[in-house]
Amino acid sequence: MLTKMNSLRLLGCFVGCTLVLSSCDRMLEFEPGDVILAEDAINNSDDLQRMLNSNYDVLANVLNGRQQSIAELLTGNMARPYSSLDYTAVWNRETNFFTPTTGGLYTDFYYAIYRANVVVESFGLVDDLDDATRVRLEAESRFVRAVCHWYLVKMWAYPYGYTADNGHLGIPLRTDAVAPPSPRASVAEVYAQIIEDLEFAKSNLPNENGPYASSMAASGFLAHIHFLRQDWNAAQTEAERVINSGLFQLDDDLDRYEAGSDSTLAGDNINPETVFGITGGYFAVDGDSLLNDRSSAFRDNFRQDNNANPQLTFSGGINDLFQLNAADDRGNWVESNGVVHKVTRFDDKQFFNVPVIHLTGLHLLRAMAIATNGGNLATAIGDVNAIRDRAFGADLNDLPAGVDADAVLTAAREEYRKETLCEGWEMDQVKLRGVMGEPETVRGAPWDCPGSLLQFPNSSTTAAGFVLNDEGGCL
Amino acid sequence: MNRTISSLLTLAAVVWSCGLAAQTITGVVTDEDGGPMPGATIVANGGARGVSSDIDGRYSLSLGEGEHTLSFSFVGYVKVTRKVTLAAGQTRSLNVSLETDAVMMDDVVVIGYGVQRRKEVTGSIAQIDSKEITAVRTPSFEAALQGQAAGVQVSQSSGVAGAGSLIRVRGVASVSAAGDPLYVVDGIPITQNYFLRGNSGAMNNNPLATINPNDIESVEILKDAAATGIYGSRGANGVILITTKRGQAGTSYEFSSSAGFSNPASLPNMLNTEQYLTLRQEAWENDGGTGYVWLPGFTSAGDSPESRKAAFEQAMMTDTDWVDETIGTGVKHNYSFGARKGGEDYNLYAGVSYDDNGSYLIGNSYERVSGRLNADFEPADWAKIMVSSSVSQGINNRIDAAWSGGLGDAMSNALPYYPVYRSDTLFNADGTISGLPGDYYLYQDEWGGTKNPVAVRESKTWITTENRSINNASLILTPMDNLFIKGSGGFDYMHVREDIYNPPSIFLTSDLGNANRYANYVLNWNYSLTADYKMDLTEFSSLGLLAGSEFQRTDSYGYGIGFGDVTGPIFDNDSLLEVANGQTTVNNPSQHSFLSYFGRANYTLKDRYFFQGTARVDGSSRFGRNYRYGFFPSLSAGWVVSDEPWFESGTLSFLKARTSWGKTGNAALPDYARFGTYSAPDNGILYNGEPILFPLQPANPNLRWETSRTVDASIEVGLWNDRVTTEIAYYNKLSQDVIMNVSTPPSTGFTNRWDNVATILNRGVELSVKSRNLIGGFQWTTELNVARNYNELKSIGNYTPDAVSGGTNDSRVITGSPVGSFYLMMFSHVDAETGLPVYLDRAGNETFDYDNSERQYVGDGLPDFVGGMTNTFRWKNWDLRALATFSYGAKIFDSSSKRQLGVVTSWNMRTEILDRWRQPGDEATFPRLTLDETTYGLPSGFPWWNTSLFVFDASYLRLRNLTLGYTIPSLGTGKHAIRNLRVNASVTNLFTLTSFPGLDPEVVRDFENAQDRNMSPNVTYLTPPQERAFTLGINMSF
Repeated sequence: MLTKMNSLRLLGCFVGCTLVLSSCDRMLEFEPGDVILAEDAINNSDDLQRMLNSNYDVLANVLNGRQQSIAELLTGNMARPYSSLDYTAVWNRETNFFTPTTGGLYTDFYYAIYRANVVVESFGLVDDLDDATRVRLEAESRFVRAVCHWYLVKMWAYPYGYTADNGHLGIPLRTDAVAPPSPRASVAEVYAQIIEDLEFAKSNLPNENGPYASSMAASGFLAHIHFLRQDWNAAQTEAERVINSGLFQLDDDLDRYEAGSDSTLAGDNINPETVFGITGGYFAVDGDSLLNDRSSAFRDNFRQDNNANPQLTFSGGINDLFQLNAADDRGNWVESNGVVHKVTRFDDKQFFNVPVIHLTGLHLLRAMAIATNGGNLATAIGDVNAIRDRAFGADLNDLPAGVDADAVLTAAREEYRKETLCEGWEMDQVKLRGVMGEPETVRGAPWDCPGSLLQFPNSSTTAAGFVLNDEGGCL
Repeated sequence: MNRTISSLLTLAAVVWSCGLAAQTITGVVTDEDGGPMPGATIVANGGARGVSSDIDGRYSLSLGEGEHTLSFSFVGYVKVTRKVTLAAGQTRSLNVSLETDAVMMDDVVVIGYGVQRRKEVTGSIAQIDSKEITAVRTPSFEAALQGQAAGVQVSQSSGVAGAGSLIRVRGVASVSAAGDPLYVVDGIPITQNYFLRGNSGAMNNNPLATINPNDIESVEILKDAAATGIYGSRGANGVILITTKRGQAGTSYEFSSSAGFSNPASLPNMLNTEQYLTLRQEAWENDGGTGYVWLPGFTSAGDSPESRKAAFEQAMMTDTDWVDETIGTGVKHNYSFGARKGGEDYNLYAGVSYDDNGSYLIGNSYERVSGRLNADFEPADWAKIMVSSSVSQGINNRIDAAWSGGLGDAMSNALPYYPVYRSDTLFNADGTISGLPGDYYLYQDEWGGTKNPVAVRESKTWITTENRSINNASLILTPMDNLFIKGSGGFDYMHVREDIYNPPSIFLTSDLGNANRYANYVLNWNYSLTADYKMDLTEFSSLGLLAGSEFQRTDSYGYGIGFGDVTGPIFDNDSLLEVANGQTTVNNPSQHSFLSYFGRANYTLKDRYFFQGTARVDGSSRFGRNYRYGFFPSLSAGWVVSDEPWFESGTLSFLKARTSWGKTGNAALPDYARFGTYSAPDNGILYNGEPILFPLQPANPNLRWETSRTVDASIEVGLWNDRVTTEIAYYNKLSQDVIMNVSTPPSTGFTNRWDNVATILNRGVELSVKSRNLIGGFQWTTELNVARNYNELKSIGNYTPDAVSGGTNDSRVITGSPVGSFYLMMFSHVDAETGLPVYLDRAGNETFDYDNSERQYVGDGLPDFVGGMTNTFRWKNWDLRALATFSYGAKIFDSSSKRQLGVVTSWNMRTEILDRWRQPGDEATFPRLTLDETTYGLPSGFPWWNTSLFVFDASYLRLRNLTLGYTIPSLGTGKHAIRNLRVNASVTNLFTLTSFPGLDPEVVRDFENAQDRNMSPNVTYLTPPQERAFTLGINMSF
């Protein structure tokens, strides 16, 4: 045994060592590497700008052909997908909450909405923000928020006008970042917020803003939105604001998907009629690495020049549509063997810009609005013929002056369907015609059969009380 | 002290015998397995004369003429008394075998940060010694715990070599945090990450595989809060203490070896070509098809009738038994050598082992080489140094299994009309030759993967190498009587490296293959300081106090390297590491630490009333400052009723009651789950050339421990002089703030969030019985344990069942049901008129509609009862031991059946499908065959038929192990004598009684993460069954 004194010293050492241990709370501090902690993420206006950039990044990842392909599959434009189970489920209009492709699309839209809300709510965190920048950041964020809400409500809810007061279920409406899970707001509430956000953007953004949100881009979207709301005057007004701005010109050729090239930022090669679009597609300087690929879903789903069995092909109906007039240069977008009608629109393109709101669409939208609303038909005829001249050759297939509104509407709808093939806009047309009471069917099923709405992902139901869409009934 | 007394007694005996007696009695004291027992005490006539047995168990005692009563005793063994009469000058031999004392009141039990006499234990602790662990040959030592302790459910994994087990102590109390017990080896909480490589190749990493079972002295399983409370935040799911062997006085050696072979415990019953084509043709015709059915890999539905006919006829010419192509006979052998040496002030144990465990899956084996050195040194009477060190290497020669391929392919996409090798020449479209007769026949599965189980196995190289070293050093100081101050430091190093080489012949894409290396290494070190003091308060009472602190830190690192266009694996050609085409990915390190303070007080009154209190404060880096520290107390008491003076020992020879209450926790969640994070500045993602910043994970600063409050009570009984002993225990464990990685609605901006959400109840009864049915020349001992656990998810807050899922296993969190409930469409029957499946909606109404929103609880994988029974028979030098394990009441979701017994697809099917509906009026198990999943109400393109039709009763009784042994007490004499030699023949998994129609009712499939591991017990998906192994072994000591 030790002496008493040594024993006491030893005990003292023990107590001392224990106390040393107890003073080291920092030994419990570890932070994850290669990330930024949330509390450190936003410190200045540059951080806000980078956060805003991520909104566009998400938009680019959903509008790279993903949203467009799914929307197309809900119409009569597409044949049964080659092998994709998810796309087949969409085509059959029998998505369920386990369908990952639609669930992923839904999720990504809300990522952008969340980030937009974070930007708007984070102005108080930075002290180098001038008023102009703050307003711009808010306007761009609300633009993205509105656009995402709109795509969601179009695909996951019955359209505007489906009920008299539009009180039918829409989608979760998110205008702040930290709120608990939201139930589905009514379609009326969703549209009201979308319009409010876009009006804010329209009023507070410059007419031009490169590939980003602009006042004209907001008007372009508003034109489409009001069109679906059957507010023909507002739709015409917004479309004309863009058309008449002089900032955009119809392209001379039929190809709005401008490809990037080595070291060429797609932002430098935006198609002249693009009001708002996704930019992307260039190689790194060494030519080896692909960066900023924002056209992958178009390329991978549709291209047939490098794929014997492309996933998505046109329906026989589309092929027949082009067979009606061999002079239509857009007929070259179809490569048909009589059974499979492949899409050639994206052949030889690897990385390219994606126009979302474009002048062609707005011209035809205005034509349809006028023809439906009883406005100046000459303007509408002019819109249609501008598109036809490009497709058929000048004056070769023009609408004659003096045709009635129905003829203009029919022609505008046909041109709109052709011009926007693969872009997803036909889905809006189907639903609008359905809401307007026209006898609309898709592959033999009523346009509003339950499965015509995409089903919400399973994760949306994890908080009790969420109401899912009905399923099935379309086959 | 004991040594001194023994020596004096021996000396006295010698003096006495030389001077007074000419009669001698000699013999050997052995244990129940025939092993020598050094140090046994032999006392004549109530203590008048006594000696200790030597290292060989031998004793010699000189006595006077006449009748004597000899008693043989050893701590932990039942005392044996024999009468012997010695005539003048007679020398007699009397060998005695001592049996383990079921009550073992004075036996020492390892508890957290110390040891305790069993009598004093107030918590629930199961002790398993080395013999039980080495008696059953298992892929990994923990599997040998099966059936050994009440309330400890051990499910052995698949038949893949090196696969681990799933152990649950008193049920499942966690959802997303790991629910495994804490493993502590010689005081070190070891690294126990099962997901270092996810479920690569349909196998989870087994962090226990490199531990040599022959190094283990004992395993203590701490079950209730009184026992686990000292481990505080990590005790909620039980603690398994592993104590390795240490040196003993004298010099001795141990050697053991075994060799054997294995085959599958059961075989899949896949269709042959004729059967498959017949059923496929029937499905085609049921769907309205005419002519010959199209065949996957050969034709498509749109092909001409003539093409389909030709393909059909061609297919009929091949009948490959793919199961037979993937399984064989596993060969296994192992060698273990250990040496013990002890002197006045030191003890040494050194052990080495080699184990080569080949599974029945062709090409699959696990090799382990290990070494251990445990040393104790006492430089002074107040100081002791203890060192434990082990190094081991496990080399797993991998194969694809389950969903990854191999036997899994043989049970799914390998259709019987596919040949193993081509018999024809295959031409490309341009006329060039792409395949010659004798080449592997490669086919594509439904996902486009190039397949052929034989080709992949023979072409692919896949080796996982694990290097592991567990080390601990302690300094124990005794500055004054009964005060022990112990400082310990431990270091556990684990390095798992997976090397894969895929040759071009598999991918058909280039002239060269690709090689990948995935490496993970974990550095885990801890140190602790404890002070342990014992004092007698009065003549009848004593107090023991323990105080301590501990710090543990774990750092995990990982990287991956990929090479394209190479000719072999990286380990064959390290120069690859220098070439330019390697793509290296370095994972971010993951780190966590625990800082703890703990104490324990034990109060003993009259050596029959025992009280214990423990308290532990744990701080963890995994929690934020709001809830960084947790407090975990426990209180317990024990009363040895049979030691009361008023207790009349009759039939009832022993009675002890104990009870406890305590609070324990669980913090086994990802290291950084609490942090809200954003992408790094250099994330490399640009939009329009501009950098972006984006959120990754939502913050939860209030994330905190799971907390379990456990009440436990038990009664231990000994009957007929402890010939029958039994213990019955009751517990009620309510776990609150259970951590869930909740799937959140996307509208929140995130898809997952870690939160304390659930409440789980585990309530149960455990019974264990040991009965020495026959004693004497022929001995028969029965040990039985059975446990009943009730598990209920009491609450999941405002979430729905889909908030947390068990990966792809269709298990969900359902309030009012157990953790691990299957959430599927309820199947009712096959409609006799139409042959279509009839389902039940939640209201119980029959419907033909398959509707995912009508999924419901259809069963769960948790058994009502589990247990084991060991019967041991001994006659002379022979012993026969039979261990049976059983499980009752659990369901098993045979997830692969939804393809093997559902829609006719590009998967082969099982013969049960022959019981299908064929015409109106048929009463059949399975509906009309179809190639069209919509026939069953499924969405087109989704033939995954998730219904309760494939939820089966998983009850079973399995003869886990049958061992016949013969012991030769000694061979030879002198220094080189063999003191004990035992040979044995053993069979593992000889038979299983079950109504489960699948492969194996005891299954642990590969899991995606800890949450899946908690939620998906008893789900099988092409999982290889366990092996049936035949082994011959030898153990000797000298």
